[in-house]
Amino acid sequence: MIAALVVVPIVAGLLLYTLPRSAEAAAKWIGVVVSFGAFAVAVANAGAPDESHFWLQRPFSASFHVGLGGPGYWIVLLLELSSGCALMAARVPRMRDFVAQMLILLGAMTGVFVARDLLLFALFWDLMLLPVFLILVAWPVSKNSTTAWRYLVYNLSGGLALLLATAAYGIAEGSTDVIGKAASLVGPISPVWAFWIFSGIAFAFLVKTPVWPFHTWMPETYADLPAPMAAVVSAVQSKAGLYGFIVVGTQLLPGPMRAAAPLGIALGLIALVYGALAALVQDDAKRVVAYSSLSHLGLVVLGIFSFDPVALGGCIVYIVAHGLFSTGLFVTLGEVETREDTRLLSRLGGIGARNPRLAGALTIVSLAALGLPGLAGFAGEILILTGVYQAGYVWQTIVALVPIVIAAAYMLRVFQTIMQGPEVPDVPQREDLSPLEVLALAPIVLALVLLGVFPGPVAATRVVPVSSLAGGVPVVAVIK
Amino acid sequence: MTPPLVIPYGNADWVAILPTITVGVTALVVLIADLGLPRKMRRLSGILIAIAGLALAGVYALAGWHHPFAAFGGAFVNGGFAIVFEEIVVVAAIFSLLMAARLGRDDQAGAGIALMLWSATGAMLMAGAANLLTIFLGLELLSLALYCLCALGSWPSSRESALKYFILSSTATAFMLYGMALLFGATGSVALAAFAGPHASTPLFDLGCGLFLIGLCFKLSLVPFHVWTPDVYQGAPLPVTAFMSVVTKAGVLAVLARFAYAALPAPQAHQILLPLWVVAALSMIVGNVAALAQTDIKRLLAYSGIAQLGYIVAALAGTTAQGLRYAIFYLGAYTFMNLGAFAVVALLSRDRDEGSHLSSFAGLGYRQPVLAGAMTFFLLSLAGLPPTAGFTGKVLILASAVNAGYAWLAGLLILGTAISAYAYFKIVRVMYARTTGTQIQRRFVPASALPWLGVALCAAATLVLGFYPIAPSDVLPLVR
Repeated sequence: MIAALVVVPIVAGLLLYTLPRSAEAAAKWIGVVVSFGAFAVAVANAGAPDESHFWLQRPFSASFHVGLGGPGYWIVLLLELSSGCALMAARVPRMRDFVAQMLILLGAMTGVFVARDLLLFALFWDLMLLPVFLILVAWPVSKNSTTAWRYLVYNLSGGLALLLATAAYGIAEGSTDVIGKAASLVGPISPVWAFWIFSGIAFAFLVKTPVWPFHTWMPETYADLPAPMAAVVSAVQSKAGLYGFIVVGTQLLPGPMRAAAPLGIALGLIALVYGALAALVQDDAKRVVAYSSLSHLGLVVLGIFSFDPVALGGCIVYIVAHGLFSTGLFVTLGEVETREDTRLLSRLGGIGARNPRLAGALTIVSLAALGLPGLAGFAGEILILTGVYQAGYVWQTIVALVPIVIAAAYMLRVFQTIMQGPEVPDVPQREDLSPLEVLALAPIVLALVLLGVFPGPVAATRVVPVSSLAGGVPVVAVIK
Repeated sequence: MTPPLVIPYGNADWVAILPTITVGVTALVVLIADLGLPRKMRRLSGILIAIAGLALAGVYALAGWHHPFAAFGGAFVNGGFAIVFEEIVVVAAIFSLLMAARLGRDDQAGAGIALMLWSATGAMLMAGAANLLTIFLGLELLSLALYCLCALGSWPSSRESALKYFILSSTATAFMLYGMALLFGATGSVALAAFAGPHASTPLFDLGCGLFLIGLCFKLSLVPFHVWTPDVYQGAPLPVTAFMSVVTKAGVLAVLARFAYAALPAPQAHQILLPLWVVAALSMIVGNVAALAQTDIKRLLAYSGIAQLGYIVAALAGTTAQGLRYAIFYLGAYTFMNLGAFAVVALLSRDRDEGSHLSSFAGLGYRQPVLAGAMTFFLLSLAGLPPTAGFTGKVLILASAVNAGYAWLAGLLILGTAISAYAYFKIVRVMYARTTGTQIQRRFVPASALPWLGVALCAAATLVLGFYPIAPSDVLPLVR
């Protein structure tokens, strides 16, 4: 059934092309049903045994090995929830083709997080580029034709570096079927090889997250993607790199990863501060969210490279939390854009009075994004900061606190400008959220609250399952 | 390594070249049928007879799989190595013939098909050729038929293509012939197996090797001997271009691999072949960079072919057994993905227009979704992205290069691939972009439905080879 989580959405996406083009509503509901169906299957299969099938014997052994467990499990759930909600609220032209690409993306990204083989991981990593490129090309929101290329060039360079590193890892180790195994069960790699392999995968992960200075593809990609796909890409695709650092970096290449910790922490801090400052001055609401994403994920990078168990647990919570509120933000901003035909803050204002439900939804997701206690964002932030402080990075923790304050400034700026103040006269006032759109946002809001008050199960996720630990000692012990 | 069995019966010699002869004789049958049949039926019957003959030859060739022996006193070595290359030639010739609905005028069709078959005969001869004379015989048979085939188009650039190919190719042949003469002078033998003796360390031998390799590199169109390729590919009729892009390469690659693995004495092999790896690296970079600027698909595929051949030769780096298997696997993958792309172009061609300009792909994703999907799939494979044979092939080549100690070559391969993505995705973009301006809506009337068969079979093979990389195992001991 785990393999079906990957295969069924992709096949369903391809089969959608056999529907007539006019069947827009049918296509949309097929997309919603497949996404939530996958969610249900993933919930029902929690703790299911891994599935494996032979792939390669030489030059190194590899297998189609998939499993639901560890941090990947929560991200898969997040992905399916985010995809289903985004599709439910979707209003785009040529719905059939759009849903098809969304489903292919869903399958490919699920593959990244369930892959237990490094080569399979790299395969899905490259595969998830294509739907986003096609959507950028075929659903151009702006006239900016370089967005698709910039997305492709950055992410493909990362993907190819990952591929070369994977091949080298396979040669050095003899097998790539290693994700989710304890480092003590995987043979050692000579430091020189480990250094180069880590360089390759770290480049791929840093581009994907992204962190400064590899982030320039990100704001315009998020801005130019139609809202539903922007929601899924920012919520989940950007997590692939962080997930990679957690399951591949800390587990399989701990030596070079620890050696690179000062650099990782520095890059995390730069992204954190730079993203927050840039988000303050954007006029495009989607770009504000894009830069805020840069800032928030910088915090996760900081947490991962601190190597502290508490921080790592917090990272997993924050990854899920960020995915939830980022989906919520992009979906609500998409609603604003479909109603007002613009997302420029300078042209928006005073919508809240006539759209109370929309205003309410934006309030909750913005509050989660700025880290209000009781919502999921806060739970992740406090765990990460505590962990980083515990690990001895005192001034880094203090620096990391500043952007969290700035977050309140830019998130509230977005909310205030759009919803409050005098109504802008040239902007048409249309209907409030429909019941369907409320229904689409409800699971996200619910999950944000739930994770905010009860982060324990997510934070206690073990990166390595207990059964595969040598002598039962976790290599990265995670908070209890 | 035991030398291949020499059977003292004259008849056994003929068994070794039975597949080759079958193809050559089929050409005669096609010519005779062409005389007797009514004009309307000639082309289709010619194609069908030729395909039947090729299929028969393929079956004959397979029958000899486990019975390697040297025929004609060692001039032609039959065995796994020769058979794999023969099969690739046969398959490529069949797929090229499927596109032959537009090869020349109706009254030239029979001759065109016969020439194609003779050219394939030459390539099959090269697949088993183990001495200089057989190599030269095969090469000239291959080339002479191709000169005529290039001129079959009714447009002026077709004659230009033929003349260019003739003059430049003859020059290269001269180099090669001089190299052969020097090799004979240095070793006193024309048999490749006799080269690896004590006399092989003389400057004369090195010079001979150099000239011989230059000739091969020219035929493989590796940089810097590639300048003829784009013009010749563009001017020649589409099926001929498709044929050239695989069959010529397969034949010459067989000679190159046999020479590199079996003829060169081990101590000097590294030194003599080092320029070859540099040439491969140059091809990957220069071929892909030049492909960026192309607006004609045939020219683009010509440059991409230069780069792809660079990848294949890079797999041979270090002359490891593994490398040879992966080179053959990638050649097989290249056969399907490249001919699949050509078959798509063939479906788009109409009278006086081969459908090879980039503009004939405009909006194809909306006019012909299946065809556009297939083209995207082949381009993904050429770019080395999953889930295709090109992806798996590239992983294997990377692993083999890293394993053989040629990590720099693997790095350049990744760089070349990253560049190539832009060239391939340019076509994808044109197919799926929503262009608002004036766009010629061409009616889709394929000249023949046969290329659809090629598209379907190539797509299936590209997909299956991606997940089940079958690299022939008992190839290496049979080189000599």
